[in-house]
Amino acid sequence: MTSAASPAVRRGPDLRIPFGFALVALACVAPLFLGNYPLHAIIIALIFLLPAHGLNLLLGYTGLLSLAQAAFFGIGAYASALLAVHFGTPFYLNFLAAGLVTGAIALPLGIPALRLRATSFVMCTLGFVIIGQAIAKNWISLTRGDMGLAAIPKPYFALGPASFTVSGTVGFYYLVLAIAALATLAVYLIVRSPAGRNMIAIRENETLAESVGIPTWHYKLVVFMISAVFAGLGGSLYAHYLTVVSPLTFQMYYSTTMLIIVLGGGAGTISGVIFGSLLFVGLTEALRVAPELRMIAYGFFLLALVFYFPNGFAPLIGRFWSFLERRK
Amino acid sequence: MTIELSRRGFCIGTALVGLQAVSSSAFARSEDGTVKLGLVAPMSGPNARYGAFSLRGAQMAAKEINDAGGVGGRKINIMAGDSQGTPVEGVSATRRLIDQDQVDFIIGDVSSSVTLAMQPVAEDAGVLLLNAASSNPKITYKAGVGGFKWTYRNYPTDENRALIVLQYAAEKKGFTKYAVLSVDSDYGRAAIEFTKKYLPRFKSQILTEDYYKEGEVDFRSVLSKIRDSGAQAIIMYGNADSTPIVGRQMTEVGIAGKIPLIGNAEFNTASSIKAAPKALEGAIEAAAWLPAYESEKSKAFVEKFTAEFREAPNNHAYVHWETVHLLAKAIEQAQSIDREKVRTALSNIHYASAVGEVTFDDHNQARLPMILLEIENGKPVIKGAYSAEIDYPK
Amino acid sequence: MFYTVIEQIVNGIVSGSVYAIVAVGMTMIFGVLRAINFAHGEYYMLGTFGAWFAIDYFDLPYPAAIVIGVVATAVIAVVVGNFVMQRIVGAPAEAGVLATLGVALILQNTIILVFGGSYKFFSGGYIEPVSLFGFTLAEQRILIIIVGLIVFVGLELMVTYSRIGKAMRAVSQNIECCAVVGIDVRHVALWTFILGACLAALSGVLTAPVNVSVYGGMGELITFKTLPIIIMGGLGNVRGTFVAAMILGIAESLVATYVGLQFRDTVGFATLMLVLMWRPHGLFSAQARF
Repeated sequence: MTSAASPAVRRGPDLRIPFGFALVALACVAPLFLGNYPLHAIIIALIFLLPAHGLNLLLGYTGLLSLAQAAFFGIGAYASALLAVHFGTPFYLNFLAAGLVTGAIALPLGIPALRLRATSFVMCTLGFVIIGQAIAKNWISLTRGDMGLAAIPKPYFALGPASFTVSGTVGFYYLVLAIAALATLAVYLIVRSPAGRNMIAIRENETLAESVGIPTWHYKLVVFMISAVFAGLGGSLYAHYLTVVSPLTFQMYYSTTMLIIVLGGGAGTISGVIFGSLLFVGLTEALRVAPELRMIAYGFFLLALVFYFPNGFAPLIGRFWSFLERRK
Repeated sequence: MTIELSRRGFCIGTALVGLQAVSSSAFARSEDGTVKLGLVAPMSGPNARYGAFSLRGAQMAAKEINDAGGVGGRKINIMAGDSQGTPVEGVSATRRLIDQDQVDFIIGDVSSSVTLAMQPVAEDAGVLLLNAASSNPKITYKAGVGGFKWTYRNYPTDENRALIVLQYAAEKKGFTKYAVLSVDSDYGRAAIEFTKKYLPRFKSQILTEDYYKEGEVDFRSVLSKIRDSGAQAIIMYGNADSTPIVGRQMTEVGIAGKIPLIGNAEFNTASSIKAAPKALEGAIEAAAWLPAYESEKSKAFVEKFTAEFREAPNNHAYVHWETVHLLAKAIEQAQSIDREKVRTALSNIHYASAVGEVTFDDHNQARLPMILLEIENGKPVIKGAYSAEIDYPK
Repeated sequence: MFYTVIEQIVNGIVSGSVYAIVAVGMTMIFGVLRAINFAHGEYYMLGTFGAWFAIDYFDLPYPAAIVIGVVATAVIAVVVGNFVMQRIVGAPAEAGVLATLGVALILQNTIILVFGGSYKFFSGGYIEPVSLFGFTLAEQRILIIIVGLIVFVGLELMVTYSRIGKAMRAVSQNIECCAVVGIDVRHVALWTFILGACLAALSGVLTAPVNVSVYGGMGELITFKTLPIIIMGGLGNVRGTFVAAMILGIAESLVATYVGLQFRDTVGFATLMLVLMWRPHGLFSAQARF
C-alpha cells in the first residue's frame, strides 16, 4: 500500500505517454472490432472505475479504509433514476445531480464517522450500506422498495434542435468512455496538486502531517466527500445503463468489489486502478465458464491477492516499464 | 513473477480474442441445426435452490423432446446463465446469452425484479423472453400492447392469486381480520398490495403488517404480536424455506391450529407439513402447480422427475418443464425458428398443459388457473382451480 | 401489554445468547489478530451442517451431532488457521478484510457445491414447548440460555487463570512485548482462532433445532449481526461483548414487535452508529484502541 511511486515515475517523461495515447486510441476504435458482449464487459469495468477512483483517493492516497462506496453508489443510482423516471430530466442533469446529492449526504455522514479509529470507521462505513439498503427497501413511497425503479430512460441530451438519445451498446460505450476519461483526468489533477501531496503525507503519518500544519481533519472530510461524489456518478451511469435499480444496489458486494479493484490494481496509482477494474471484470466474466466453481475460485483469487500480491499488480506494471526502458 | 504475469496477461488476451472469434463465427446461428435456448435462473446465491429445480425441469423437457426427434428435426440445446437472483447479474447473463451464445429464445428468471430488468434487454435485441416463474403483475402490464413486444409470461400473477385466496378465506371460512407476514421482496410486497386492493370487497381488514427478510429465522416476536392482535388468519406470501420455521414457532407461541396460514409459501410439501403438522393444518394456499395435482400429465411428470433426480419436483421444476414444451410446440407450429414467426405462433397457441389449456392475452400473459388447496389431516386437498381475467391499468 | 413486553425480553435474551456465543469468539480473534473476521458466521454454518449431516446420514442422536458439528468445524479451523489466519498477524487492515472474505466465499460455496444450495430440514433437538412462569418456550431455548451462561463463565475463568488465556490477553495488549518475553504469538493466534470457530459452531448447532433450516448462505446473516456487537462491546472485550449481545437481542425483539419485522436487521448497525457518535470507542472500553 505504501509503494505509490512505481520505478518508472522517477525517469520522467518516457514511453508511458505514447503508450497512454495508443491505449486511448485503441479504446476509441474498440467497437470496430469487438462484439457487443466484450463491449458490455468493458462498459461495466468503466462504470466501476468511477467509485474505484474515489476509493483510491480515500484508501490509496489518504490511507482510509472505507466500505461505504456501495452506499454512495446506490444513492447516486437512486437520485439519478428518480429524477429520470419522475421528471424526465436530461441525462447530464441527472448525472450532475447524482454527484451533488451524494456529496451533500456524504458530508454529514463523514463528520461523525471520521472521528472514529480505523476498525470502528470501517464498521461505521459498512453500516451506511446496511442502513442505505433498509431505507431503499422501506421508503416505499419514494423508492418503490423491493419492486425497484424500472424503465429508467436511456441517456437523453436536451440540446434544442440537436437533442439526441444515447442508445445501443456502442453509443453507451462512448459515453462511459468519455466520462471515465474525464474522471481519470480529474483524479490525476487532484493527485498531482499540492493537495495530493498533503493527502499522501496524511497516509504516511497522520500525526507528522498534522504537526507540519496540514489540516488533516479537513483533508480527510473533503476526500471522503470527493470519493462519495465519484461513487454517486458511477451509480448514475449504472442506473441509466441497466435501466433498473433495486435496493440490492446497496450491498457490501459492491463495496468489496471496489476494494478488490483498488487493491488488486494497486492502491495509490491511477493506472493500477484502471488495470484493476478491467482485470476484475475480465475475471468475473472468465469465471462464468464454470458457474458452480465461480465463487470458490473468486475466494482463492482474493487469498492469492492478499498473500502473494500485497501491493496489487501495479508494481508489476512498473517492472514492465523498466523492462521496456532497459531494452531501449 | 513477471513471467507469471505476462503469461496471465497473455491468457486474458487470448480469452478476449477467443470471445471475439466465437461471436463472429457464430453469425449464422441456426446453421448447426439446433434450437439454442437460454435459461436465466439463480444458479448461485440464496435462491440457488430455485435455479437448480428450474434447470432440471428444463433439461428434462429438452431431453424428452430431443429423444422424440427434436422440433422439426432440430435438437433443443439449453444454455444456462446464472442471475444469482440479482438484476445486475441477470442482465449480464442475458446479454451474454444473446451476444455471445447467440441464443434464439430465453426463458427466465424466477425472481420478478430480475425479469423486470431483463425485459428491456430482450426487447432491444428482439429476442423472445418467455418467463415461466415470476409472479409480479407489472411484468405483463408492460408487455404486449403494454409495450414490450418480446416478453411473454407462462405463469399466473400475484393479482389473481391474492384475489382467490382472499375470496376463499372470506366466503368459505368467514375470516375478516388478518395479520400479514410476508417476505420483503417484490413478490411478497406486490402480493400484499393486491390483497389490499380486494380487502374492501370482502369487508375485511389487516390488523398487523410485517415483512421479513430472506433468511430470517426468528419470528417469535411477530407471532406473539399476531396472537395478541385478534387476527383470524395470517396472510403469508413467503419463501418455501421459511415455512417450517414459522410453523414451528407458531407451535411455540401457542397459535398453531388456532390461526391458520393463508397465501403461498409451499405449505403443501411433505417436508413443510412434517416440520409443524399442527401449525399447517388448515393452511390455505394458491399455487401455480403442486405435486399432488390430479391430472395424468402432471402425475407422469412427478413420477418421472422423482425417478430421475431422487427428489420430488417443486413448482419451479414443473413450470420450466412445461414452458420448454410450450415453446417447442410454438416452434413446431411456426415451422421455423424465425423469431417473428415463433412469436406469432405463441400469441395464437392453444397448448394443453398439465393444469389446463394455455392461451395468451394481448398483454402476452398466459391465461392460467391458480390452484387452491387446503391442508386437511396433514394432506393437501385441492379445492379448485380459479382463473381470472386481469384488470390491466389503463 | 406488560406480559407481552416481558415475553419479548425473554425472546431477546434467547437470541442475545446465540449472538453472544458467536460474537465472543469473533471479538477474541480480533483481540489477537487485529482483524475483523468476515468469515466468522461461516463456522456457525459449518457446525450446523456437521450436525445435520450426522443426523441425516448416520441417524445419530442430537447430543452426538453437537459433538460432531463442533469437531468437524475445529478440523476445518485448524486448516484455515494455519494457512490463512496466522498469516494475517501484523498485516494491514484491508488484507484482513479481503482474506477473511475470501475464506467466507470458499467455505460457503464449497458447502453449496457439495450439498447443493437448497435448504435442509434440521430434525434434531428438543423443540417441545414447556411452560415456565407463564411463558411457553421450547426446551431448546432454555438450553441455549444455559449454555450461553456456561460459555461466559468458562471464558472469564480461562482468560483470568489459564496459561493460554493469559497469553491471549497479553497478545491483545501488545504484540511486540509478547514476542520479547517469549510468547509464541502465532501459536496463540491459532488457538484463539480455533476456539472462536468452535464457539460459533456450537452456537449454530444449538440454534439449528429452533431455526429448522440449514443452508449454505446462513453464515453471512450471522456475520452481519455480530459485527456491530463486537464493536459496541469494545473490540477484544469479552464481558462487553456479552452485554452488547444481550442489548442487541432485546432491542431487536422489541423493534420487531413494536416497529416492524422489516427493521429488525437494521437495529444492529443503527444502534452501533448511535453508540459510536456518543462513545467512539464502544460502550465498555475506557479508551479507543482500534
